[in-house]
Amino acid sequence: MNRDRKKIDTACGDFDAGGLSRRTFLNRLAALGVSAGVANFVALSPLGARKAYAAIGGPEERAWALAQEMAAKAEKKTLTLLIPTGSIGNMTPYVDKWKNELGIDLEFIEEPDEVVHTKGMQEAVARTGRYDVMMPTAMSYPDWIDSGVIYDLTDWVETYNPELFNEEYGVVFPASHHAQLYNGRVAGLLNDGDQITLLCRSDHLTDPDKMKAFADAHGYPLDVPKTWTEYHDLAKFMHDPDNNFFGSLEYRSRYYVKWMFMQRLMSKGRLYFDGDMNPTFNSDEGLAALEDMLAINPYLHPDAFSFTWSSNYNAFGRGAGFMNIVWPSGFKYSKAPSTGPATTGKIAATVMPSDTLSDGSQLYAGLFCWGYGYAVSRYSANPELAYAYAQWMTSPTVSSDAIPYLGGYSDPYRVNHMKAPTQRLVDTYSPEYLDTLYNNIVNTVPDFCLPGGFEYQDALDKEVHACMTGEKAPKEALDDAARACDRITRRIGKEKVKESWLSLARNLAEPIKRASGADQWV
Amino acid sequence: MPVRPITWPLVVVLIFLLVVTLFPIFWIAMTAIKPPTDWNAVPAVWIPAEPTLINFRTLFDPDAIRDYGVGGVSESATAAVIGSIIASVSATLLSVMIGLLAAIGLSRYSASGRFTPLLILSGRMFPPAAIAVPFVIIFSAVGLIDTYLGLIAIYVAITLPFSTWMLKSFVDEIPREVEEAAMVDGKSRFMAHVTVTLPLIRGGLFATTLFIFILNWSEFLFALVLSYTNIETIPVRLAKYVTATAGTLYGVQAALAFLAMSPLVIAGFLIQKHLARGMTFGAVKR
Repeated sequence: MNRDRKKIDTACGDFDAGGLSRRTFLNRLAALGVSAGVANFVALSPLGARKAYAAIGGPEERAWALAQEMAAKAEKKTLTLLIPTGSIGNMTPYVDKWKNELGIDLEFIEEPDEVVHTKGMQEAVARTGRYDVMMPTAMSYPDWIDSGVIYDLTDWVETYNPELFNEEYGVVFPASHHAQLYNGRVAGLLNDGDQITLLCRSDHLTDPDKMKAFADAHGYPLDVPKTWTEYHDLAKFMHDPDNNFFGSLEYRSRYYVKWMFMQRLMSKGRLYFDGDMNPTFNSDEGLAALEDMLAINPYLHPDAFSFTWSSNYNAFGRGAGFMNIVWPSGFKYSKAPSTGPATTGKIAATVMPSDTLSDGSQLYAGLFCWGYGYAVSRYSANPELAYAYAQWMTSPTVSSDAIPYLGGYSDPYRVNHMKAPTQRLVDTYSPEYLDTLYNNIVNTVPDFCLPGGFEYQDALDKEVHACMTGEKAPKEALDDAARACDRITRRIGKEKVKESWLSLARNLAEPIKRASGADQWV
Repeated sequence: MPVRPITWPLVVVLIFLLVVTLFPIFWIAMTAIKPPTDWNAVPAVWIPAEPTLINFRTLFDPDAIRDYGVGGVSESATAAVIGSIIASVSATLLSVMIGLLAAIGLSRYSASGRFTPLLILSGRMFPPAAIAVPFVIIFSAVGLIDTYLGLIAIYVAITLPFSTWMLKSFVDEIPREVEEAAMVDGKSRFMAHVTVTLPLIRGGLFATTLFIFILNWSEFLFALVLSYTNIETIPVRLAKYVTATAGTLYGVQAALAFLAMSPLVIAGFLIQKHLARGMTFGAVKR
């Protein structure tokens, strides 16, 4: 994207003065490299065009000014980024700009994604100063902040204002809080909207024979599932193993299966802990969630017990099933002809299904799980330059440009990505899916973004997996998970984890707070 | 001893075991020559109809796989292959050399006491994960992190107990009288070891060297935690063949795995006559 501010300002000024038609204005901005969607956002803004662009472009401009100042001062002219393998595609398009205009080399150290957290903890003790920017998931922040390996970014955020909470182009609430803050302080800047949504094969939904047969059998029309009961009905109805076509492709493999349980648990209005840090997995709702999962097992793809994200995406893209629970990258993957030969143009997406609460109401809840972001190493030689990079890359304008590049994990996370998307974002995700993402993300519950978060998750994952494989009865598995979590809480310190948990719970969507009782917690 | 006749049931069992044993190698070899469209095909493609070397090419030319619409490979595996060779060969030679001297010392000079061999082996009693972080701290402090010297040092440290114990068992098998006879003939004590003991344990030396090389060649944890960008090894690179657009690059992983196992297989064939005896770790004594 060409960010020649003077030319953009001139075009905006001409438009405000009535010297340009809307079409000419959009063409002018497109010619300047400002993507069409951003230009559209500017043109439709109730502010004047110049003011609107200045607003949306503000975080980028402030970050760039800081980068220029810090780059000029920096003795070390390299900025080193610790990133998960496979994410580099969203960052490489800007390497030349940083080199040519700032004289800063961007050096990427790629590590397998499951190793990034460990590498950060390792740096906490080794203090090599090898990294400037580190790209963990939101779950790493508590442990990394507590171990002192990354900066608390709050002061810089207040000074340079990345507009994290702006209603029109800020990070969508509640991810804005869950995936960036630790105990109310900014630990990292989100660059990846990792929520899970449900994909269905639209060609099967519009098949007249199936439409009739389904309506006859179930008494309601064939469509994407709105509830977990409908999800079960659809999986059973579409399951056709003789033709290698399965009802759903959700995960039952170790490491991934916890998310399938967590999602169902929160659909039932339960969170992971109560207000006093007592685990709530082994509640009636937890048992019902496991029973739901066991009931769907017969209609899953036979590889569900060994799926990783890539083999799961691959199977769906090759036409091996009707439904899939995926991150937004899964939609991109299934939409692209090269990776989704059987699903291109045949995907209907929806928010995660709802469940019925005890008062008869429906609760829609999503899961924001994983979610990469940029953190700044405390041992960096140029921490403010590293912060400037993080703010610049995640600014409303640059992030709109960066997300559609292939070969990276970054998915929409700001309001403007979904509500005022650039043409490239639309082409990559489709308007319908961007709407789905927005409608889903506003009701998301985060991962275990707590001190010891990875340990909690693993304890739960192990027991849910044992239940799915028949090794343990549901009640036994959940009781064991609860005991393991209690041990982790005791070891880390109940008050410390509780403070973090309550801080997370304060920023849940209102319907989820009410359903879980979190609105009553102190 | 009478020769036991091979019966048909035994042949069937042997063939079955052979197939089971060789299947992973067959699968890796086939995956290495499959085009991306066949990596995850359902039903599985056993033998690709259109075999390709694109996976091998991608190892050294990351853009090659783009011909198939797969992007996201950002680095060549050349550095990893070179890194593995440098670290593994150097560490193996050092480990075997030091282990040999230690083995002769323990076997022939009892001054070291009864517990020294056990003390040496105790180094292997700690799980690598438990000692990895302390090593990171120590190596950071002395500037050995992300260097070949550091990686070789840790490889020698973790394989030395094995090489010492294996070689000690071979030296123990050689009667002291043979060396004494050489010394009676005018050899020094050192030359007696070099000219008499060493040739007699040649099989064990080959077996030990290969075993230690395999350990070093396949080591993952220390190579991962002690490296940033200056050094890389094959096992670490194997874990990095994941892209956002195509997921795990099974074909490219298989190609690198195939290349990685090749030197071990070739070396194994070359010294196979020594291996059968050597790999028993001296268990069959005179």
